[in-house]
Amino acid sequence: MINLIQTSRQIIHRFEELIIAILLGGMILLAGSQIFLRNLFDSGLIWADPSLRIMVLWVALLGAIAATRENRHIRIDLLSQLLPQRSQSVMTVVHDLFSALVCGLIAWHSTRFVYFEWQDGTQLFSNLPAWVGEIIIPIGFTIMTIRFILNIPLHLLERKTA
Amino acid sequence: MIVTIGLILLALSGAPLFAVIGAGALWGFYQSEIDLSVVAIEFFRLAETPVLLAIPLFTFAGYLLSEGRAPSRLVRLTQSLLGWMPGGMAFVALIACALFTAFTGASGVTIVALGALLYPALKQAGYKKNFSLGLVTTSGSLGLLFAPALPLILYAVVAQQLGIGGSITVDEMFLAGILPGLLMLFVLMIWGLYSGRHLKLIPFSVTEASAAIKDAAWELPLPVILLGGIYSGYFAISEAAAVTAVYVLFVELAIHKDISFQQLPRIMHEAMLLVGGILVILGLSLASTNYMIDTDVPGLLFNWLHERVHDPLTFLILLNIFLLILGTMLDIFSALVLMVPLLLPVAVEYGIDPVHLGIIFLANMQIGYFTPPVGMNLFIASYRFDKPIAEIYRATLPWFLLLFGAVLIITYWPSLSLALLNRN
Repeated sequence: MINLIQTSRQIIHRFEELIIAILLGGMILLAGSQIFLRNLFDSGLIWADPSLRIMVLWVALLGAIAATRENRHIRIDLLSQLLPQRSQSVMTVVHDLFSALVCGLIAWHSTRFVYFEWQDGTQLFSNLPAWVGEIIIPIGFTIMTIRFILNIPLHLLERKTA
Repeated sequence: MIVTIGLILLALSGAPLFAVIGAGALWGFYQSEIDLSVVAIEFFRLAETPVLLAIPLFTFAGYLLSEGRAPSRLVRLTQSLLGWMPGGMAFVALIACALFTAFTGASGVTIVALGALLYPALKQAGYKKNFSLGLVTTSGSLGLLFAPALPLILYAVVAQQLGIGGSITVDEMFLAGILPGLLMLFVLMIWGLYSGRHLKLIPFSVTEASAAIKDAAWELPLPVILLGGIYSGYFAISEAAAVTAVYVLFVELAIHKDISFQQLPRIMHEAMLLVGGILVILGLSLASTNYMIDTDVPGLLFNWLHERVHDPLTFLILLNIFLLILGTMLDIFSALVLMVPLLLPVAVEYGIDPVHLGIIFLANMQIGYFTPPVGMNLFIASYRFDKPIAEIYRATLPWFLLLFGAVLIITYWPSLSLALLNRN
């Protein structure tokens, strides 16, 4: 059972890494060829710039998901060092719960936002529906919510073994 | 009020900052009875700000450079060109660090990547242990004011979103940082010259210099292409970032073969982890800033302050003290997105140029990295060089005082930041 969880976690992590690599690689290629086209042929792809902007949003959320997994979000690391071990683990649980709550709320309200856009049929560019670009916001915050909840038993286990 | 205090406590106790900022925005909009989906609309502005494309691309290029052997080529090059001068090795360290930090952003990477090369080299050149330790610790954030450092970009982005005090572009921030950055470099070089006055000089070697130039031949054009492209107006910032990413990828992968194709996904992952951390904070702070402006928090703050502080000079003194403390607690990116929306409107009321404020802000943050007792780079250095933290404090103190002096000059002499801009 534990093995199964471990393996599936590893597969998910590799999958996330792959998506980030494809996205970032795509951004570099697309942005690079845009400059190439502009300078040599005085032209460019109309859809490239808006796509690149959407990709920034996607990469941002995928990066944030990864930061949640590795527990490496930017935080103030000042008082936590001063607390005794026991209260430290209590605080970690409080932080995970709090972050899960915030992410959950954002996930819910961004789902509503994307749903409105879908209903209105808002378009981004060249007939691409806006919700396709925006969908990463609810997806990202939902995954982060789940991660923060899953982090709680993981952190507690780590404390116990440490 | 209770909610605000609770959020501050959560932030101080180490809760992820993006969650604290997000909670603040949600709570604010909830109180004003605004539909909470506005948070998602604001967050989507990340995809409506073209210059943000520069952030993942520059960060990736910086990580790529620090993973390969580019740092050692850079040190070898500066050493062969400047090492013969009095104070030469100190110059080498300072210039190499400043260049490197400009490209990687001051995330502590410089100390880890360059410190290991420079610290032994400095000691070997005869500098005292404390001098060398202080130098590498201090230099970890040196170069923050030089293009294309991320904090300069981020400041311009945040200031643009506020839309006050005229337009502030990334290009202007890049120009404004040059002279203050050089001042800091110059002050530290004088100190290096003075401390190394008794040391034996190493003769200049033409063979070593030409070998080092050849070794770094592929990386040498990078600053020229990048800065030349930006300052001449040929490249937009995001284009310059794309060129840098493509070029660095090509050089490190195909020419030097420092990095294998298999390593790429891991490096990309590491870089995007930082980018995600920064951008998710930025995205949610767009929402909280919007709420703050709607309720005119900066205006209230200014009115409160103005009853007590009448002249800009006193305001600047208070600002310096405040930012110095802030810089030891918050990392530069969170400090930017959290504090600039509050401080900029107030500073503009006191007649301070927005670009100048940005330089003051970043210069203060730069020395906040090694302000005792809690600056982040002090701990990184202590860990990296395996020295007790008290020893790092002692070693860094003279450097801190020197740069603090430089920050005061930067603060009270606006022309230094604004001279290269056509504003006045």
